[in-house]
Amino acid sequence: MNGAPLLRLEGVRKSFRGVHAVTDASFAVARGSITGLIGPNGSGKSTTIDCLSGFQRPDAGRVLLDGQDITGLPAHLVARAGLRRSFQQVRLFDALSLRDNLMQAAQAADGVGWLGAVLRSPALRRAELAAAERAWLLLDQIGLTRLAESPAGALSYGQKKLAALAAALMPRPRLVVLDEPMAGVNPSRIVEVEAILRRLNAAGETFLIVEHNVDCIMRLCHEVVVFEQGRTLTSGPPAMVRDDPRVLEAYLGVPAAA
Amino acid sequence: MLRHLPPLLALLAAALLPALGASPYVLGIGITACIFTVGAASLNLIYGYAGLLSFAHLAFWGIGGYCTALGAVSLGIGFWGGLALAGLLNAALAVLVGIPALRLNRHSFVIVTLSFSLLTALVARDWVAVTGGPLGIPGLPAPELFGLSLRSPPRFYWLALAFAALSLALLRAVTTSRIGRTLKALRQNEPLAQAQGIAPTPYKLLAFAISAALCGMAGGMQVFYMQVVDPLILDFYYFQTFLVMMIVGGAGHFWAVVIAGIVMTVLPELLRATAELRMVIYGALLLFAMVAMPGGVAGALESWRDARRRATAERPDPVTAAAS
Amino acid sequence: MTQERAIDPVYAAQLTLNGLLLGLLYALIVSGLALLFGVLGIINFAHGEFLMAGAYLMAFALPVLGLAYLPSLLLAMLGVALLGCLAHALFLRRLREDEFERSILMTTGLSILLLNAVQYALTATPLLVDTQFGFDGIDLGGINITWTRIAAAAAAILALLLLWLCLTRTQLGRAMRAIAQNREAAMMVGIRPEAVARNAVILATALCGLAGAALAPIQLVQPSMGQFLIFKAFALVIIGGLGSIPGAAIAAVLLGLLESWIGGFFDAVWQEVVVFVAMMLVLLLRPDGLFGAPRMRAG
Repeated sequence: MNGAPLLRLEGVRKSFRGVHAVTDASFAVARGSITGLIGPNGSGKSTTIDCLSGFQRPDAGRVLLDGQDITGLPAHLVARAGLRRSFQQVRLFDALSLRDNLMQAAQAADGVGWLGAVLRSPALRRAELAAAERAWLLLDQIGLTRLAESPAGALSYGQKKLAALAAALMPRPRLVVLDEPMAGVNPSRIVEVEAILRRLNAAGETFLIVEHNVDCIMRLCHEVVVFEQGRTLTSGPPAMVRDDPRVLEAYLGVPAAA
Repeated sequence: MLRHLPPLLALLAAALLPALGASPYVLGIGITACIFTVGAASLNLIYGYAGLLSFAHLAFWGIGGYCTALGAVSLGIGFWGGLALAGLLNAALAVLVGIPALRLNRHSFVIVTLSFSLLTALVARDWVAVTGGPLGIPGLPAPELFGLSLRSPPRFYWLALAFAALSLALLRAVTTSRIGRTLKALRQNEPLAQAQGIAPTPYKLLAFAISAALCGMAGGMQVFYMQVVDPLILDFYYFQTFLVMMIVGGAGHFWAVVIAGIVMTVLPELLRATAELRMVIYGALLLFAMVAMPGGVAGALESWRDARRRATAERPDPVTAAAS
Repeated sequence: MTQERAIDPVYAAQLTLNGLLLGLLYALIVSGLALLFGVLGIINFAHGEFLMAGAYLMAFALPVLGLAYLPSLLLAMLGVALLGCLAHALFLRRLREDEFERSILMTTGLSILLLNAVQYALTATPLLVDTQFGFDGIDLGGINITWTRIAAAAAAILALLLLWLCLTRTQLGRAMRAIAQNREAAMMVGIRPEAVARNAVILATALCGLAGAALAPIQLVQPSMGQFLIFKAFALVIIGGLGSIPGAAIAAVLLGLLESWIGGFFDAVWQEVVVFVAMMLVLLLRPDGLFGAPRMRAG
């Protein structure tokens, strides 16, 4: 977890029709870490995610992925630069099978063009073989192997969340951004999802996780970034953030004595 | 290779039709079935797969007809040169129309493509110097292959069959490739596809261009079958026929649309239906499909099968699955 | 098209009056289309066939009712509204708000069915429709206007006025505008979208039927008469600002005038091109505001 940060945001700002959604988002995600992003409702977390993943164009500031400036790139180019994200409202291709969802997720990263795709070039076959192998591996890790051929739309909500996670991991991205991975997951099973994330992290994946469930973030993350009113309030290891009076104030709305 | 067997056998059987002593009338129906099926299948690529309802295909069909005819009559590049030009010109036009049409949203795509067709119809009728105006270009020569005239019904039938087989093979290759999967993915969830590194517009333009090229070449076949091209080639009847074939067969289902194209050409002939009655039935079918089975026959069959499968299969527990 | 005709004020006035009448009838058609787009979010491809149905009902009602103009007009209008009501109950009711393509395919199916059923049953032979007025007219200093045209214009103005009053002054009009602007909010204050949608369909088809009926004694009545007008009407709805009823109606009257003048002085082809040129200009000059938020504006 040393060296230059994998992702760095510097003074990212975004407003919609004069309403400031994000005024100053500045934080970094260390390579190999699980970094959490928390903050009260409306503190600009989702807009920040949209800005760094290319779904919104920041009004100001810079987004650097592994030293490469990706500020204002459209979403598909951000993805090709190696940043994959999930969505708060889980998104999958409902009519495609779970396996095809994973294969589809890897496609843009393998460099095979249209002609190769139509003519079934050897490069395509190699790429598909590698993708299929990775898909099986990931399905095994999230425990959905036996549903590989089911349409994604037929999965339960919890399964969809895991499938979206697997899809994001398919092309071996440098960074995976998860937008509320625990929302809607049965509370009694959150620990199990945490275990999956930890296992993936141990295998080398870097995560940036936006989450409402603060307890979960505190257990899971190496580093926590706290947002308040569109700007980064503080960041640091969970224990330090937990004891920061400003964080309590942001969440409770009153100056905390403890 | 086994999965290619049924279509190849069907093609072989169709190719033997003239040898079995089919009358020119029957071969005429076969020619129409070949050409219209390509029209419906090309529409299927852009609507069934990419989810874009294009009214420009009427224009592509007509432009393809005029272009092939002019190639043979005025440009001196013959039927084949004209047909190739029709494909290329329509692909280029599709990109030119597609870029502004896709800039906004689905609504504007419909309106812009519809306007393109209407303008094309006006041009065909009023640009007399090139299109011959309302009279069109009559007396188109017979297509030739190695000096052999393809005018006689069996020969033109084989030409149409070969054209349909090649066009459908191309469409099949595209739709079963991951391009087809990506088009379906874009239709289902565009933001997700973007988040996975897919740029939507190039894919849509590719589908639109391929679809336009094939529809235009089908139009070229049609006018050489009729031996005349006039503004009637831009009658909405053609577009509506392709549309109904695609919807009733099942948009997004490759073979269903092909079968619908053949059946819906042959059946009205068997029933000796007049043109009006056929369109009454087509209209009613389209309405019925939109009310009762938006996925067409194939979609209805699929959901019936899924419902049965779901009724028999045990539902896996999501959470144990997640935890294991 | 000769030089002395081009500068003849009587000829110009005649063209203007003809254009005005044409524009008023267009306005009836497009305000219905705009209403349907606003309230139901659909583009009605069968609108031209409702127009044709109105014309045929007029053609059949007139001989039965002793060529009496007004009763036949009302009967035709009612008949088309009934047809619209039926179309809503059987088909349009099933459309959800986001099913734009399905609405187009559904109304296209209806259009194919109606057009070809009429063609099958009544043949494509055009009908010449006679009324109590015959071909009489009044003569205003050389400008000849037939009574059927005057009656059509009067009916159109009255209907547009009533529509405006309905949209701005009645409960129904408020409900329709509320749905067009914010469906969820409208439902929360107790407006039932389906009932409002049905009323909007009845209103829109009645206007369209009226236009067809008024057109019947002026034009030849034939199955394809709606097809010629409907695409022009789509363009007008766009030019007027999608969903704006006054915008569409004003654009319609202007187009009627423009077409009449252009038709009087130039080649007929320019008459048809002008509407598309106008639409393309609008699409190029203000593309974003047109399709972004389907809102219906009544005033």
